Amino acid sequence: MSAEVLVFDILAVLAVISGAGVVLARNPVHSAISLVVTFVNLAGIFVMLRAEFLGVVQIIVYTGAILVLVLFVIMLVDPDDLPDFHGGRPLQRAAAFVIGLMLLGEVAVAILTRTVVGQPGPWSEEFVLEQGGNVQVLGQFLYSGYVLPIQAIAVVLLVGTIGALVLARPDEPVGRPRPRHTGTISLGHPRGAEGEFHEPLPLGAGAGAARSERRGEMRGGIIVVTDAESYSDRPAWELEFSEPSADSNDTSYADDGFGVGKERNRS
Amino acid sequence: MTDQPLWITYIVGFIVLNLLLVGMAYMTWAERKVIALMQDRVGPNRTGPFGLLQPIADGVKLLGKEDLVPKFADKRVFIIAPLISFVTAPLAGLVIPFGDTVTIFGQEINLYVTDLNVGVLYMLAVGSVGVYGIILGGYSSANRYSLLGALRAAAQVISYEIVLGLSLVGVFILSSSLSLVTIVNEQRQPLDFSLGGLDFSIPNWYIFSQPIAFIIFLIAAVAETNRAPFDLPEAETELISGFHTEYSGFRFSFYFLAEYISMIVISLLAASLFLGGIDGPLADGFWWLLLKASIFLFFYIWLRATLPRFRYDQLMGIAWKVLLPLTLVNILLTGLIRLRGNDQISLQAFLITGGVILVVVLAVYLASTRKQEAYVG
Repeated sequence: MSAEVLVFDILAVLAVISGAGVVLARNPVHSAISLVVTFVNLAGIFVMLRAEFLGVVQIIVYTGAILVLVLFVIMLVDPDDLPDFHGGRPLQRAAAFVIGLMLLGEVAVAILTRTVVGQPGPWSEEFVLEQGGNVQVLGQFLYSGYVLPIQAIAVVLLVGTIGALVLARPDEPVGRPRPRHTGTISLGHPRGAEGEFHEPLPLGAGAGAARSERRGEMRGGIIVVTDAESYSDRPAWELEFSEPSADSNDTSYADDGFGVGKERNRS
Repeated sequence: MTDQPLWITYIVGFIVLNLLLVGMAYMTWAERKVIALMQDRVGPNRTGPFGLLQPIADGVKLLGKEDLVPKFADKRVFIIAPLISFVTAPLAGLVIPFGDTVTIFGQEINLYVTDLNVGVLYMLAVGSVGVYGIILGGYSSANRYSLLGALRAAAQVISYEIVLGLSLVGVFILSSSLSLVTIVNEQRQPLDFSLGGLDFSIPNWYIFSQPIAFIIFLIAAVAETNRAPFDLPEAETELISGFHTEYSGFRFSFYFLAEYISMIVISLLAASLFLGGIDGPLADGFWWLLLKASIFLFFYIWLRATLPRFRYDQLMGIAWKVLLPLTLVNILLTGLIRLRGNDQISLQAFLITGGVILVVVLAVYLASTRKQEAYVG
């Protein structure tokens, strides 16, 4: 057995094992890690096929960007909120099994009828090298013959981005106008996205009123609070659902060590 | 480039990896010494002359510490995560050319481990896999601060990786290659030109033809390695060290090693991409590369001693609102000039396109500054 076959066997076996791990793992984070391992092994197989560019791009795009975001989402979601991982009604499971088998059959038919029977294409290793190499050939193809599809894909991605932005925009304010939350959990400040440090987003009709409602402002690096109620110790994501009221403050308003709580008791 | 038996490549790789490890150890020593000098202190001076044995003492100390695994931690992931960071950090060093070839015992040896035709992309890919060490470490610690640090790291590294990659496109256009060996060799041909009857010969280093890209690369590289002033993932004052809060003993030092090794590797990369690598006056050789990399490393330390940490939204704002548009403009202009240099477009077309690009950029800039007054944060 040559070294190349040995390396391929190792990569393939690892890819299959970790692929099974994606489905079988009980913990969604473990599933995602297995998927990472699968992708890295697939990239290795691409490199063995002399498609170095494809292999590296596979790692950069899928492993480095997309799966990181997937992990991001999984880690932020409470595991109890996730649907039962291996549940489902018997009928659903049977249907899934049949569909999976059909997919497998489809792939098997495609492989058996095309790869083995078909003729090898013109792009042999030597021919690609003659043309200037892997990256050069790919670049020339994508940006001469396939410009239009590439642009179309770019537009689709742009639409997706704008759609996500529209969906993530906060809804109209309910109740009394107050400084708007930006709709994101700010990882930058311990008080989260309480919005007191920033101008509220100019959205909707209540924005002007909301601005006059601000009772704390930044002066020369110091936050000047005119009314203790304009700040609270609750994290931003709780504030989205429950406004801290005056009477609940007395029980939940703990001194956070910055002297904010004491300030309030004195006033 | 010569073909050589595989075992020689293994030996070269072994030497490179060990050099990186030793370099990392003395990087910590140098950092403490330089910061001490900048703060008017003495720095480590107890172990050996000038405290030179301090890294070894630190290593022994870290080995002797208690190895804790939090009770509710995801144990397997907790153990694997620092290893991911540690293994991927030096891997990127394998494509850096340390010289041409030397002949030892009649055998020609390449002074680089491998000449991948996608070398630079490979470094970016390895770096992006290294993020998993941080994310998984933060997740598996079962600690809110660690998770926050991990999330910050993920968002930061993904954002700055885009900037880092795009800032290099100008270099790729000029050298028409992704291989580091080719890029360095392109820079080693001197650029001769005459101005007012005088003949000049300057090195064809890409820092001269790609100054914007160089500055952007430098900023993004600092953010990519999670160093001050972009060390948000491990901000001590807010997150009590972020993703490695729960790590102790040698597991912690894996993260430590990874951070310093990736600093060294990215400095070597910057020296190779923009400063000509092994190219230098008198005699080319790896000493020039090491000197240039040391300048970058000193710059890293200098930044840490000087600048306060950014706020998180500022960090993201710099990446997406400032650096990314700048890289795109840089790519456009570089491509345009390259086309003109190859005589693929006429002078009129060149001037008109360039003018349109400049007008559009200026308009977008003016529009965005007016918008930002409304959307602070």
